[in-house]
Amino acid sequence: MSSTTRSKSHVSVLTSAVNPLANPRGAKKLCELCQNLAYLQCTKCRVTFYCDTEHQQADWVGIHEKICQLLIPIRTAMPFHSLQADRDHHRAQILHRQEELIEISRAVAQKKLFEGKYQESLPAAQLSLRCAMDVYGPSAVQLVPAYLLLAEANVGLGSLSQAEGYLSQAEWTVMKTPECSQTVRHQLHRNLGRLYTATENLEGALLHFANDVYYASEEYGLDNIVTCGGYFLMANVFIKQEKMDIASSLYTEVASTWHSHLTKLLETHTPGSMTLEHSFDEAQQAEADQMLRAMLKVQESSPKQATAQNTLVAHSLAMLWFLGGSPDKALEFGRKALQSSQLVPDHSLTEPIQGLLQLAAERGPHLTIAS
Amino acid sequence: MSAKLTTTQKVTFLPDINKPGQEQTSPWSRMQKKGKETETAQPAKSQTPTVSKDEIALFRNSVRQNACVEMLRGGFHRSFSELFSLLQRWKEIRLAAGPGSAIWQHKSLEEQPAKLHTLRHYLTKAETALRAGAWSAVYDQQVFLAQYFREPEDRWLSCHFYQTSLNSARRVKIDGGRKEAEALANMGQVYMEQGQLDSAREQYECFYQLTAGRAWRSEGGRSLHCQACEGLWRVYTQLAERPLQANDYRAAIDTLSKAFQMAKEGEGDQCVALQIKLTKCSHSINTCLSVCLSSLAGDHRIEGEAAYRVGLAYQCVGDQVTAKRFLNMYMEMSTALGDAGGLGKAYKAIAKSLESEGKLSETVQYLEKFAEVSQGNNQYHNLEEACMCLGVIFNSRGQYERGCTYFERGYEIARDLEEVPLLQRAQVFVGSARAYSMIRKYSRSVETASHSDLLLLTAWKESRQNVFTDTTGSAEGKI
Repeated sequence: MSSTTRSKSHVSVLTSAVNPLANPRGAKKLCELCQNLAYLQCTKCRVTFYCDTEHQQADWVGIHEKICQLLIPIRTAMPFHSLQADRDHHRAQILHRQEELIEISRAVAQKKLFEGKYQESLPAAQLSLRCAMDVYGPSAVQLVPAYLLLAEANVGLGSLSQAEGYLSQAEWTVMKTPECSQTVRHQLHRNLGRLYTATENLEGALLHFANDVYYASEEYGLDNIVTCGGYFLMANVFIKQEKMDIASSLYTEVASTWHSHLTKLLETHTPGSMTLEHSFDEAQQAEADQMLRAMLKVQESSPKQATAQNTLVAHSLAMLWFLGGSPDKALEFGRKALQSSQLVPDHSLTEPIQGLLQLAAERGPHLTIAS
Repeated sequence: MSAKLTTTQKVTFLPDINKPGQEQTSPWSRMQKKGKETETAQPAKSQTPTVSKDEIALFRNSVRQNACVEMLRGGFHRSFSELFSLLQRWKEIRLAAGPGSAIWQHKSLEEQPAKLHTLRHYLTKAETALRAGAWSAVYDQQVFLAQYFREPEDRWLSCHFYQTSLNSARRVKIDGGRKEAEALANMGQVYMEQGQLDSAREQYECFYQLTAGRAWRSEGGRSLHCQACEGLWRVYTQLAERPLQANDYRAAIDTLSKAFQMAKEGEGDQCVALQIKLTKCSHSINTCLSVCLSSLAGDHRIEGEAAYRVGLAYQCVGDQVTAKRFLNMYMEMSTALGDAGGLGKAYKAIAKSLESEGKLSETVQYLEKFAEVSQGNNQYHNLEEACMCLGVIFNSRGQYERGCTYFERGYEIARDLEEVPLLQRAQVFVGSARAYSMIRKYSRSVETASHSDLLLLTAWKESRQNVFTDTTGSAEGKI
């Protein structure tokens, strides 16, 4: 709460009023977010304009705080260079900076989406789209990831028609480029599946998720965590269709893939390394956390308790939080895992869980609050 | 009349402009309406045929993608992973083998849609059964798939499915391990075909242990235990090949005796074939063979066969007396059984041993008997062989004419049989016999070179008839 008021006051400090009439003829200053006439200017970079403080606040929180200074070289007019070489060099630099910007904005949008902050991710996604359009052109295949991000955000917000618009644009672009990479295709189908799930078109959703898993397997392999993300989404659809046995077998698959992946990570990092936080991409971590928690909830609420499965999932969660740098959560999930593993006689996971609990207990008092 | 008037409908002359919600009656709107009506009147005759999304996908995507997506849509993710990994493995094997190997030319599964469809169908059936926990149904589907891929280039697929069927058979608890036994037998066979004898032996031994004491029968009516014995016998016989070639007789004897045990326990027919192998490697023939023979008492035919082989074995070793004894036994048994073929074989073998002993007249006797029997039995090959042998013997004794007759007889038979190698052989022999019979007189005629001799020689050159023996038949008598 205090942080938001702090940034709010921060933003108002950064604002300065701008009169549209004062601009030279034909040079309209438009709002960053809504493209209306702008009345405010960001004082730090002086190249970003907003129509009111609300939009400025939203943009600041969304992306502008991170890229304020990076926008300056891109948006200022090109200085005079007498040599062609200088001009080319300048252009190349600008291009490079724009590509950097696209990457950063995409990463920020992705992270916010995984955390579930859909409204906040919109500015970043829109910026990435606009930059990509500037660099590659209005109908290039590099725009597709930006479209997908926007679509996902809109699906999360519930504005399904907008999402549908973005996704059809993305689909059309992919169809026009036959040599499109399989990563892009799998992401497209995943988002289409999400849209269809939200619109309750379950058969269509299944078709798209099937395509998503196919392309992901082609690209990453059958046992990859990306592929099992698709399996998780399919399982959700099957739960909606009341086909619980299919859903539970899919969940088993997801749980075992994540478990083996995390065990491998843990093995490579146990010999006394302190840089545990960097082994994991934050976006992936958020996604995994959400998935595993959802699975645990479903399993605990199901009539027949598959305790072996519970152990697996709880253990995975424990490892995930341990690697993510919060040993208390790791301890909590570890204890849960130990409980359910002791219900099954002679379980193979009891020892590793106890080992993990020990490690977490050791690390607990040493680490400061990391996250 | 007034009633009639009132029933007629009132039609206004001018359209009513005051009523709200009235339909537009301008010419333009009326034209539009008509257009729409005509459109809706022909819904069936659409300009473009509507294609569903699935059909578009079938057309646009590869066969492999369609199969995978179909499986995933139904929720059969295990079938999907199995198919995907199989296709991947084939690609890796092919790449590892490199261009120029046999596998490079083979068509991949993706290019054979029929096989893909079958795979998909049965894999999905297996997975439905798996979800329901019916492991025996899973086993059945997998065995079907294993037997479907019979072609040599799909051997690896068949092997894979036999392996998976073994795993699922192990989970079937209700039938007391019968499916597991069958699966083990299949795996054993697969390993035998691939040449991995040790793994085959393991599988067959497990199979044997499972079937010991159980009266299970396969569909052909054969008991599974017998199958186990036969399998083990074959494995042991093949395992013994290596030490035999390395002249490691001890190990070979051990393995072969194990094989013999199995053969005995099975149905006994294969025992006979083992004896030659045993005799080849054993120095203590007598103990070995007597053990074999004594265990086979009871079935005369088999005993006779056994005696025959023992006799042959003794021949190989060089002990002709014992050989003849056994062969006589076989001869008697064959006569008792009325087995003319066996009798013929016996005569031939006896003749051979007599020949190696050097008793040619007796050899001739026996060979003639052999010829008679073969003729009576219409065994032309044997007859031809007999004639050839007789001819050779007469040749070696100098009785070229008799040799010649026999050779010609053999030649005629070979000609009737239409077998080119035999024919050629017979031709050579006939020719050489005739030459031998003529050579002496010919050379003498050439040497003396008298007028009559020259006439004879020219006559011979013209006609190539055997003129020498006719005129000098008496001469031979003189000399």
